[in-house]
Amino acid sequence: MDFWSYLANSLLLGIQEAAPLVLAAIGFTLIFRLNGFINVAFAESITIGAFIGVTLNLLGWNAYVSMIPSAIAGGILSVISYLAFYRPALRRGVGKSEMIILSVGVSYLFRHLIKIVWGNETMFYSVPGTQPIKIFGVGVTNLNMVCIGLVIITAVAITLFMYRTRYGEKMRALADNEDLAKSSGVNPLATSTLIWAIAGVAAGVAGAFIGIRLRVAADIGWNQILFIIMITIVGGIGSVRGAIVAAFSVGIIQMGIALPANTYYASIALLVLFVVALKFRKEKV
Amino acid sequence: MSSGKVIHLKNVVKRYGGRTVNDINDKVLGECGIEGLIGPNGAGKTTLINLISNKISLTEGQISFFKDGTEIDISKSSIDKLSRLGLVRSNQIIQDFDSLTIMDSMLLSLAASKQERFYKLFGDKKARKMAEEEIAWYLDFFHFNNPNGHADSAGEKKLLDIIRCMMLKPKYALMDEPTAGLSEDQTQRAIELMKKRTTEEGMRILIVEHDLDLIWNVCEKIHFMSEGKILLQGSPEEIKCNEMVHNKYIGE
Amino acid sequence: MSSYWIQAISFVAIFIALAGSLYLQSSIGGITNFGIVGFFGVAMYLYTIFVVTLAMPPLLALLAVVGIVFVVALVLGRVILDLGPQSILVATLAFATIIRHLATVLEGVTGAAKGIGTVKMPWDFEKTSDEKILFMVVLIVLAAIVLLYAAKIKKTPYGRLMLSIKDNEVLSESLGKATLNHKVIYFAFTSAIIGLFGALTAPIYTYIFPHFILADVTFVVWIALLLGGRMSVWGAVVGIAVTKFLFDYGIESVLSAFQVRMGPAFGAMWPNIKLALFGAMLIAIFMFRPNGIVSRKREGSLQ
Repeated sequence: MDFWSYLANSLLLGIQEAAPLVLAAIGFTLIFRLNGFINVAFAESITIGAFIGVTLNLLGWNAYVSMIPSAIAGGILSVISYLAFYRPALRRGVGKSEMIILSVGVSYLFRHLIKIVWGNETMFYSVPGTQPIKIFGVGVTNLNMVCIGLVIITAVAITLFMYRTRYGEKMRALADNEDLAKSSGVNPLATSTLIWAIAGVAAGVAGAFIGIRLRVAADIGWNQILFIIMITIVGGIGSVRGAIVAAFSVGIIQMGIALPANTYYASIALLVLFVVALKFRKEKV
Repeated sequence: MSSGKVIHLKNVVKRYGGRTVNDINDKVLGECGIEGLIGPNGAGKTTLINLISNKISLTEGQISFFKDGTEIDISKSSIDKLSRLGLVRSNQIIQDFDSLTIMDSMLLSLAASKQERFYKLFGDKKARKMAEEEIAWYLDFFHFNNPNGHADSAGEKKLLDIIRCMMLKPKYALMDEPTAGLSEDQTQRAIELMKKRTTEEGMRILIVEHDLDLIWNVCEKIHFMSEGKILLQGSPEEIKCNEMVHNKYIGE
Repeated sequence: MSSYWIQAISFVAIFIALAGSLYLQSSIGGITNFGIVGFFGVAMYLYTIFVVTLAMPPLLALLAVVGIVFVVALVLGRVILDLGPQSILVATLAFATIIRHLATVLEGVTGAAKGIGTVKMPWDFEKTSDEKILFMVVLIVLAAIVLLYAAKIKKTPYGRLMLSIKDNEVLSESLGKATLNHKVIYFAFTSAIIGLFGALTAPIYTYIFPHFILADVTFVVWIALLLGGRMSVWGAVVGIAVTKFLFDYGIESVLSAFQVRMGPAFGAMWPNIKLALFGAMLIAIFMFRPNGIVSRKREGSLQ
C-alpha cells in the first residue's frame, strides 16, 4: 500500500484499536493517583466486563445494551478488590511496592475464577450484520464507529466529572493530600470507593468493546495491562487528558508497526518503548 | 598542627523555586582540626552539609576539596566517590540498616572493596582478623548493650552512625548534630574520639551543633550561619562576644 | 524409580533453585524481579537452538547460554535498576513478555507454536532412565549449591554489602559503596543462575513450546517464596514443597492412587483451581502472615 493510505490506515485503525485502551487508562490513572500503587488486577475488571456482556448477549441481549451490565460488573469487581483486599492491606501498613505484588495475586485469583466459571474456551459476541464504511479510503465498520463514539462520550463524561464538578474536585483533593482533604469534609472511604467504582466501570466498558470487536477470553485484560501501565506513566499519573493522548498514540504506533510487520513486533516495539519511557519519566514511580 | 583549607566554597547558591536557602560567596572550611557550624534554625546549616556531601545538587557555584595539596572539584561527584576520596558525613536524622547487626554494620564499613565480590564466599581471614581487632577497640571504647544484635535505642543508632563514619578514616568528616540523642556518657566518649582523631591522625571535622557549651569547649574555629549565609568565621572567643551573633542567635 | 517421579523430582529441584535465586534477588538484593520466566525462557530456547539447530556440544552450549543470559541481565539491569521498585517489577515483566513474543514470532528460529526439539540428555547410556536419573542427581546437587550459597551469603562481606544497599542505598553509598554497579552485577549473576536452570529444563521437556514460558512460571516462584517466607532461603524450599510438590505431584498421585480418574474436564480445570488458590494464598499471606509460614514472627515490617 502506498504511503498515504498506510498513514490513513495507521491513524484510523490505530484510533480504533486504542479506543478501549483510552477508557481503561482513564480508570487506571485515577486509582494509581489516588492510592499510589499499580493495580495489576485492574485487568480483570476489563475481562469481567467482556464476560458478563457476552453471556447476556448470547442470551439474546443487544450487544450495546449489554455494555451496561459490563460496566456494572467491572465496577463491582474493582470495588470488591479495594474494600476486601487493598484498603485493609494499606491500613496494615503494606508498602506501595508490596501492594503491586498483592495485586498480582488478586489478578491471578480473579482471572482463574473467571476461567473456572466460564471455562477455558474463547467466546464471541453475536453482533448483527456490520456494515463496512470507507473513511479516507480506510475500511472501517459502523460497529467500530459506534465504539469510538461511545468511548469519546465516556471519556468526555469522566473528564468533565473529574475537572468540572464539585465531587470531582473532592476526589482530586483526596488524591493529593488525604489529611487536608479530610479536614475539608471529604469522606475518604466513600470518595475512594467511588473512584474505584468509576475506574472499574471504565474498565468494564473497555472490556465489552474488546470483546465485541475481537474476542472474549480470560487473558484479554491481562494482555493489555502492561500497555495500560505504560500509557498511565507516559501520560502522567492522574492526568485523564494525558492518558487519552498517550492511549491514542499507543494505538497508532501499534497499528503503524503491525501493518507492515505483525502485531507481535508491534507489541515488542511498544514494550521496549515502555522501558525507555520508564527510564526518562521525571516523577520516579 | 593543622594548616591549609579542606573545603573551598565558591559562589555556592542553592535555590528552591524562588527561595534561596544557601548563598555563600567565597568561604573556606577545615583549616582547624575541629570546627563548629552554628546558627539559628532555618539558617541553612544542614543544607550546606547536604551540598558539600552531594546529597543535594548545587543551583550555582562550585565546591572544591583539597586532598594532599591537590584541589578537586567535587560539585558533581557522587556520594560514594566523595566517600572514597575521604569526605564523609554523619546524619542528623538517624539512619541505619535494618537487616544488619551492630557487628555487621561495622564489618561493612571496614570491608575493602576487593572483599566484596560475589564469588568470595569464604572471606579473607587476615582482613577479618584486622577488622575484628579494630571493632573490638570501638566496642571497648563505647558501650553497646548487644553488639551481636541490633542497635536498640536512638542513642546507640546515632553512635553507630558516627562510628561507621570514623571507621572510614576520612580526611574530612561533616557531622550533623552528632550528639543529639546521645547520653551524657556517650557524648563524652564521642567528643574524646573526635579530639583523638584530629590531634593524632590529622582528621578534620566540622560539627553542626545547637549545644553551645559543647561548641565553645571543643571547637578551635567557628562558622556562624544565618539566612543562608556564612556571616562570621572566628575563634570561640571572637564568636561568643560578637554582637551580631548575639542578636541573631544566642540572645534568643 | 518410576519415570514419573524422576521427572517430578527434577522439576522440584529446578523450582527450588529458581525460588532460591529469587530469594537472593529479592530478600538479599532488594530487587523485585517479575521477569524470572524471561531469563528462564531465553536460556531454555537458546540452549535448545544451540544443541538442536547448531549441533553444539551440550556443555559448550550450556556455558554459552549462561554467559549470554549474564550479559542480557547486565544490560537490562543497567537500564532499570536505578528506577523505583514498582518500575523494576513492571519493567522485568515487560522483559519477560518481550521474550515470550520473540519466541512466538521468530518462527524460523524457535519453531514457535510448532515447537522445537528434540533435546536429548547430555549423556548417552544404554538405559534412558539411567540418563534421566543422573540428570536428576546433577540438578539436585546444583540446586543444593544454590541453597547453600543463599544460606551463607548473609555472613559474607558481599552479602552484608547487598543487604545494606537493599535497606538504605544512600547510607550504603555514603560508606563509599558504588551501589548501582553492585546491584547490576548482582542482578546479572543471579539471573544467570536462573538461566542455568532454564537451560537444564530443556532436556527434560525434550520439545519446547512458547506456552512453557508464560508469566505463570514467575508467579509460581513468587508465591512459593512468599508462602514459605522471604526471611530465609529455607522458606523457598518450604514454599516449593507446598506449591510444586504438594499441589502438582502430590495431589496428582494421590488421586490416581485412589483410582479417581481425572476426567478431561477436571484435568482442564485443575490448573485454574490451582492458580486461583495460589492467588488466594498470596492474598492471605499479605493479610495475615506477611513473613510467610516458615518465619517465627507473626507480623513484620514490609518495605
